[in-house]
Amino acid sequence: MHSAGDDLISLAVADTRIAQALASSLRASGDWLEAVAGIDSVVVRYDMTTVSRADAERRLEGASNKVQHAAETAPAVVEIPVVYGGEFGPDLARVCETLGLTEAEFIALHTGEYTVDMLGFIPGFAYIGGLDTRLVIARLAEPRQHVPAGSIGIAGGRSGIYSLPGPGGWPLIGRTSRKLFDAHSSEPFTLAAGMTVVFTAVDAL
Amino acid sequence: MTVVVEKPGLQTTIQARPRTGQRHLGVPASGPADPLSMALANRLVGNSSFAGALETTLTGVTLKFRCDTFVAVTGAIARCALNGLSVQQHETITVKAGDVLVVGAAERGVRSYVAFAGGLAADDVLGSVSTYLPAGFGGHEGRALQRDDELSFCDTAARVSPNATPAEFRVPMLNAWTLRAGRSVETPSISDPERLFDTRFTVANRSDRMGIKLEGASFDTGSDGTMASVPVFPGTIQCPEDGSLFIMSVDAGTTGGYPRVAKVTRMDLHLLGQLRPGNSLTLIERRDTDAAIELAEKLAYWRAWLPDIADVI
Repeated sequence: MHSAGDDLISLAVADTRIAQALASSLRASGDWLEAVAGIDSVVVRYDMTTVSRADAERRLEGASNKVQHAAETAPAVVEIPVVYGGEFGPDLARVCETLGLTEAEFIALHTGEYTVDMLGFIPGFAYIGGLDTRLVIARLAEPRQHVPAGSIGIAGGRSGIYSLPGPGGWPLIGRTSRKLFDAHSSEPFTLAAGMTVVFTAVDAL
Repeated sequence: MTVVVEKPGLQTTIQARPRTGQRHLGVPASGPADPLSMALANRLVGNSSFAGALETTLTGVTLKFRCDTFVAVTGAIARCALNGLSVQQHETITVKAGDVLVVGAAERGVRSYVAFAGGLAADDVLGSVSTYLPAGFGGHEGRALQRDDELSFCDTAARVSPNATPAEFRVPMLNAWTLRAGRSVETPSISDPERLFDTRFTVANRSDRMGIKLEGASFDTGSDGTMASVPVFPGTIQCPEDGSLFIMSVDAGTTGGYPRVAKVTRMDLHLLGQLRPGNSLTLIERRDTDAAIELAEKLAYWRAWLPDIADVI
């Protein structure tokens, strides 16, 4: 447990599924202004006008001791068709060079079935874990100012799908036409933590 | 019962209450970048602190009224005129149908707030009418205002007694700012955190509702760019691998993969909305426990004018 700011406490947890389960139970408790999971941590924001730091830490510790396992449910499966490389994946060539792969080898390793670790960053952005260890690469040293919606990046052993246009720091390897967020839909989010996604290679958006 | 936009300015949006409880879906706070100034404007026209109001950016806005009402302008220092005659910020302005209000360019600070009796009606998306430009939702069609946009008011039955913000509650707009901040104890983190509080930074051009980039010093976090993404909040100061610092503001993403090196304290977050490119900025270290004490003092001071101040900042 460590401070992430005057009203923020960060708690490291064992894995993504526990982070999701703990954050979800913390939100349900109503004790926190915000409770958000990271990949392997949970951060709570508490109301420092009514709760002391020490009480907040005790409460977080107590809650985390109760949540050690995530619930098992059969996940929904969503297919994500991807156009790899070229204008839609402007970093693929450089990524392949860094990783010592051909583009065909990269695509063969990247297509397939994964689990959504979490949503975050911007509405509907999906963090998707479980990449082959040969595909681990760093974020861009300086984030891009403009990443088109549907862009797929990889960084740190995960894929990320940019649900909206905007700035972004992940090397871009392809793009999908699948819409991940629609503010005016009754169900604005296509994906959720724990869902299964399948990347398939296609020739055109 | 409407107002028409004659000149929209660089980026004028409708803002209201921040979005909460949806950061795990990637939904940022949005809402006013300077919520204190917006609350002050709403106070002068008899509204609750987060009633829908306009937030301008650097260039101001020109509005033509189609009805009699009351308005107020706060925030960035700007010359204001009603039908060509000077009117004051921080005072309730009585307008008649046909009147034209010009809010001029910001002379100090970045964002002026224009509040209207009853508040502006706007698109309610994910629990708020605040405009979130990156995703194009909320506010007026999810976008910054354009010429000839016609905005309507919520409840114009509200009775307004013209008023003025007392001098001691007018937030000074500065060219050199200090923000109280606490270190974030994290691995990887910077090896020389003292330097965070020992540097006169300059606000970079790349500064907006997403966040504020700082120039003037470079830091090494030792991060190799593969850190697992972590939750971040308005006020979180990130240090990407290029060594620069970035203070996240109201529209910033909800998670990020760059080391968090510090966080601006809750009590000073409202100032982020007024940091202007070229301004100087110094971070002053505050331990978390001291920040709680100073927040309580700040709230006690402000409660005399804004009873719901704890909700605002």
